[in-house]
Amino acid sequence: MMDVGRHPNIKLLTCSQVESISGYVGNFHVRVHKKARYVVESECTACNDCVEVCPVIIPDEYQQGLSSRKAIYIPFPQAVPSAYLIDMNNCLGTNPIACGKCAEKCDKKCIDYDMKDEIIEFDVGTVIVATGMDVFDPTPLDEYGYGTYENVITSMEFERLLSAGGPSDGHFIRPTDRRKPKTVGFIQCVGSRCEQRGQPYCSNICCMNTIKDTLLLKDHYPDIEAKVFYIDMRAFGKGFEDLFKRSKEAGVQYIRGIPGEIIEDSKTRNLKILVEDTTANKMEEHEFEMMVLSVGVTPRLDMPEVQKLLTLSKTPDGFFMEAHPKLKPVDAPTSGVFFAGCAEAPKDVKDSVTQASAAAARAETLLAAGKVKLEAITSELNADLCRFCTICAQACPYKAITVDPKKKTISYIEALCKGCGTCGAECRFSAIKMKHFTDEQIVSQIDTYLEEDSYDKVIIFACNWCSYAGADTCGGARLQYPPSSRLIRTMCSGRVDEKFVLHAFRKGAPMVVVSGCHYVDCHYIDANRWTQKRVEKLWDKLERLGIRPERLLLEWISAAEGRRFAQTMQDIEELRKKVTKEEIEHTIKILTEEEEKERQKQEKLKK
Amino acid sequence: MKLSPRFKYEIAKEFGGENLKLCFACGICTASCPIREIDEKYNPRRIIRMVLLGMKQRVLNSDFIWLCSSCYACTERCPQGVRFTEVMNAIKNLAVKEGYIHPAFAQQLHILRQFGRLYEIDEFDNNKRIAFGLPKVEKTKGFTKKIIEIAGLNNIIPRREDDKNV
Repeated sequence: MMDVGRHPNIKLLTCSQVESISGYVGNFHVRVHKKARYVVESECTACNDCVEVCPVIIPDEYQQGLSSRKAIYIPFPQAVPSAYLIDMNNCLGTNPIACGKCAEKCDKKCIDYDMKDEIIEFDVGTVIVATGMDVFDPTPLDEYGYGTYENVITSMEFERLLSAGGPSDGHFIRPTDRRKPKTVGFIQCVGSRCEQRGQPYCSNICCMNTIKDTLLLKDHYPDIEAKVFYIDMRAFGKGFEDLFKRSKEAGVQYIRGIPGEIIEDSKTRNLKILVEDTTANKMEEHEFEMMVLSVGVTPRLDMPEVQKLLTLSKTPDGFFMEAHPKLKPVDAPTSGVFFAGCAEAPKDVKDSVTQASAAAARAETLLAAGKVKLEAITSELNADLCRFCTICAQACPYKAITVDPKKKTISYIEALCKGCGTCGAECRFSAIKMKHFTDEQIVSQIDTYLEEDSYDKVIIFACNWCSYAGADTCGGARLQYPPSSRLIRTMCSGRVDEKFVLHAFRKGAPMVVVSGCHYVDCHYIDANRWTQKRVEKLWDKLERLGIRPERLLLEWISAAEGRRFAQTMQDIEELRKKVTKEEIEHTIKILTEEEEKERQKQEKLKK
Repeated sequence: MKLSPRFKYEIAKEFGGENLKLCFACGICTASCPIREIDEKYNPRRIIRMVLLGMKQRVLNSDFIWLCSSCYACTERCPQGVRFTEVMNAIKNLAVKEGYIHPAFAQQLHILRQFGRLYEIDEFDNNKRIAFGLPKVEKTKGFTKKIIEIAGLNNIIPRREDDKNV
């Protein structure tokens, strides 16, 4: 941390909040709200004189509220920069009559009550999001009585109690009577792997944290009896299993089973639990002088604000979504933005450092090149045809398009476009052309497929990343699917325009399938939500026109689901067989009439 | 012992049984269970395991499935959202359908058939009701009989000899 503060190429902004980030890869403009510290950073020598005289005493957040701090303080001993700051919410006031003791005491006169918040603006090429995580609050799990029973603590509090710089100077004591406990119990998975009252995922770090804690405890006090109640001990990393073994050898008892509830003995303040040792199918009663809840980690509460700054998306667990879970694990879907640490998923120190190094390298690669190569499949705007309806701006997952309907202006940053084509599909005025996936190209594919014997062809629109790859997997695995399938590749299912589907039906297709990535796995953030909306609208429209909506299908198939692809195609084949030639001819007639009506309407409008 | 691999699907199909297969046997249900504290035979975690393993005969035929007191402590605390109280209801329903019924419940039905209610309201209670301005409770055998008929209980638990006499 000190190195960061000293590095000539790193500018550290503390007490600061990013207000807005505009622009795109290589050209981000950042606006930062730097809050006043009320102490001149460069002058302060951290001599502690001001702290001694400060009369305000409040709970110390860093010590988990187990000890106190003053209104003028350093958050924790290693904090960078090593300068005090005043917590103005608790300071007795800038009025020198009220207090002002610290300013009087400071020899270097570096306390300035009149310091103002600042707005700092600057340009950067790339952004790394490393906003960290929060710790799960076990108060709502009333069976553990955290917050009610003083001797029930969280793993974070345990950490402070055992630390040499902690509230008890490294002496492990229990909160009620401040003496060393003889027995300590640990409960795992508090708030993790809990569908109902916590987080559904495994928090990744708590098993190893507990193992480390028990080893520390046994190291300091070999006479303390420690027991761990767990569901599964996940010692998965390098050297982890060895640590687990050492903990067991040190005499820590591991019991597979989660206690039902903790009951406090009102006299001794000891904690009693009833637990089933599930490996022995045996009920056991244990009494501890202290219990530690091994709490999980949760996404930060202020994540939505960061998300808005950079148009990021989240995975269902609430952490930020990477561009690709396997191949681009540090990149955000927005170019030039990278992730490090727990903002992306719960991680331990080693994984966080690994990801941070990778993110720094990824960011540096872009900066060193000075140029960014874009895919050629971006969209092209024709401002003459645009009616400024704003639908494209709403549909764009990357906010590449901005429309001002009042001023009748449209602006488009091509560098932000990833080529999903959702804007092109949504545009009703043909003002947007998708390069390499133009309307003409797709329509002529449909025409060619349906030129002969259209009644035994099924038109399938498949997205490049999932469904088309799923079809590939299916073929690669030599799985059989009916020969009626005719695939048309688009980058995203969001590209599938209403008119393509209607055109296919007009050309005599018995069945049309729109397929894309699973709902939360869209490779273009949330473009497939627009697919869903559009297909739902189309079902209504088909019904209104007297065409069976069952003939249009929406399927989510991922790249790994070759078997599912084959099965879906077989199911569709069954449905296709039920569509008669008469029905197809009827549909062609309806849609041709509809097209004619539309053409006449357009002509009238032109006149 | 014969196993029925489809047993877990049968239970999972029932209301409340949806999450049954998610159970990772942490044992919090058993540790929370007030019945388990007094009766070794009753172990929710074990019952779920038995269902998942397909031990249909053993589960449906057993005494312990009738012991659940529906306190919902396990349902409340289960991390995987297995609604065990409802799983128990599903198991009990299936047991009845398959003809396994605990004698205590058969006895209750016998009382219902005889008196139309489980707890007899006698003169003393009725006088109390009148004092409070409530109507007297009559024997409502016909009404209960109809419910029993509609629920199809007569096919599952045949009438006893002495049912008909009253």
